[in-house]
Amino acid sequence: MKDYNPRIVCFSCKFGWGYLDPHKESLKGVDHWVPVACSGKIDATHILEAFAKGADGILILVCPEGDCHLQDGNFKTEAKVFLLQRILPAWGLDSRRLRVIAAMNPDGEKIPALVRDMASQIAPLGPARLFADSLAAGGESGRDSFPARA
Amino acid sequence: MAQKPKVAITWLGACGGCDMAVVDLDAGLLDVADKLDIVLWPVALDYKYQDVQALSDCSLALAIISGCVRNDEHLEIARLLRQKAGLVLALGACACFGGTPGLANFVGRQEILDFVYRDAPTVENPEGTIPQEKSLVNGHELTLPAFHEKVRAIKQVIDVDYFLPGCPPPPHLISQAINAVLAGDLPPKGSALAPRRALCDVCPRNRKKPARLEIHQIRQIHTIETDPDYCFLEEGILCMGPATRSGCGETCIRNNMPCRGCFGPVAGVEDAGTKHLSALASILRTEQYFDLAQLVETIPDPAGLFYRFTQPVSILGKAALKMHPLDKERP
Repeated sequence: MKDYNPRIVCFSCKFGWGYLDPHKESLKGVDHWVPVACSGKIDATHILEAFAKGADGILILVCPEGDCHLQDGNFKTEAKVFLLQRILPAWGLDSRRLRVIAAMNPDGEKIPALVRDMASQIAPLGPARLFADSLAAGGESGRDSFPARA
Repeated sequence: MAQKPKVAITWLGACGGCDMAVVDLDAGLLDVADKLDIVLWPVALDYKYQDVQALSDCSLALAIISGCVRNDEHLEIARLLRQKAGLVLALGACACFGGTPGLANFVGRQEILDFVYRDAPTVENPEGTIPQEKSLVNGHELTLPAFHEKVRAIKQVIDVDYFLPGCPPPPHLISQAINAVLAGDLPPKGSALAPRRALCDVCPRNRKKPARLEIHQIRQIHTIETDPDYCFLEEGILCMGPATRSGCGETCIRNNMPCRGCFGPVAGVEDAGTKHLSALASILRTEQYFDLAQLVETIPDPAGLFYRFTQPVSILGKAALKMHPLDKERP
């Protein structure tokens, strides 16, 4: 587990976090990066697809409150993220694997550091192959919907 | 007289509600019996699986299968009927999406057996007896079908031609489906034999829906008195109508109960839960941004709410099924 580096998928709003070229030198280290026109475009389906395809963590960068170029896309995405954070544990996925940050950085220079920061925070959770393994290991699982044992 | 088309109706992991919906065709059932030769219908007729096995392949015009695939017997019958039938119709939410039994996929086989035979408060089982696939009784070996790790929808074990969702499907859609098969008037393979639009489109409560829907507080249906003409979402009651297929006849809505989503997602949608979630996310409103997380906290069991009927066919549900290949579950 020493060399384990979690796979982080980063979605970012182009308005608040820059129209950037993912191949730019300063953005090296952000391997799975999806800039979108407005964070409101990020569907819950995209987030769960990323987990199903092997993402260990997902970082979503949205504009601060009141700064959405398209009225309230950031608010809606945050609502989706809060709802998803509540359903992920039922699938054996720790809710810390999904994070939303509401801020603004049009140069995008903070993105690599934020991704590294999230990677280091979820590294102790291990890979998200949790569907079977975490249940066996007694990790955080879907017991919310199942009566607790005496 | 020309030979009548042969039809098999059967249940796998089901409560029998879908079969009851067929019985609810009422006098229409006599018409069906006139036009069709029912060769297998465990809930209503005496039958032997050997009789079906003796038929030649594809000799059944139609196999109507309700219920999910939970054990080896379900799997075997599903495969047998696929072999013998020209068309397979998945009837009901369990057959189409896994249904409420699919919620068991949030845990595994061992946890289910432990709870049901050991840990449930009402269980008294000092000898720790749990069902075995093989047991000896008076020198005779008795067998039970193997209980799978996970629940599957029928399309996850055999090829399915048509789907008719619902818990249970309404009789008029069943009768339409049977007539469509008889007339050969069928949509492309893989279609659901139900309307394509969402329930909100046809909801009788639409009349009193405000121009802009907003939920400031999540409420439970049993805690308030609702206006029978008012949109549930406007009152803060979580109704699955925005992302659920219509065609059910709005039975729940008309009886002052919010939609639970038994008709599954609208045409073209793979994961019903994410669509319910997104629809809800777009109408949640709070004064302050940080109140949003608190508002979301007040939803009881959101995973069960959004995936009540569709867990096994959802994006993560399918990913979880891959961890338990069917072949490995079989002895």
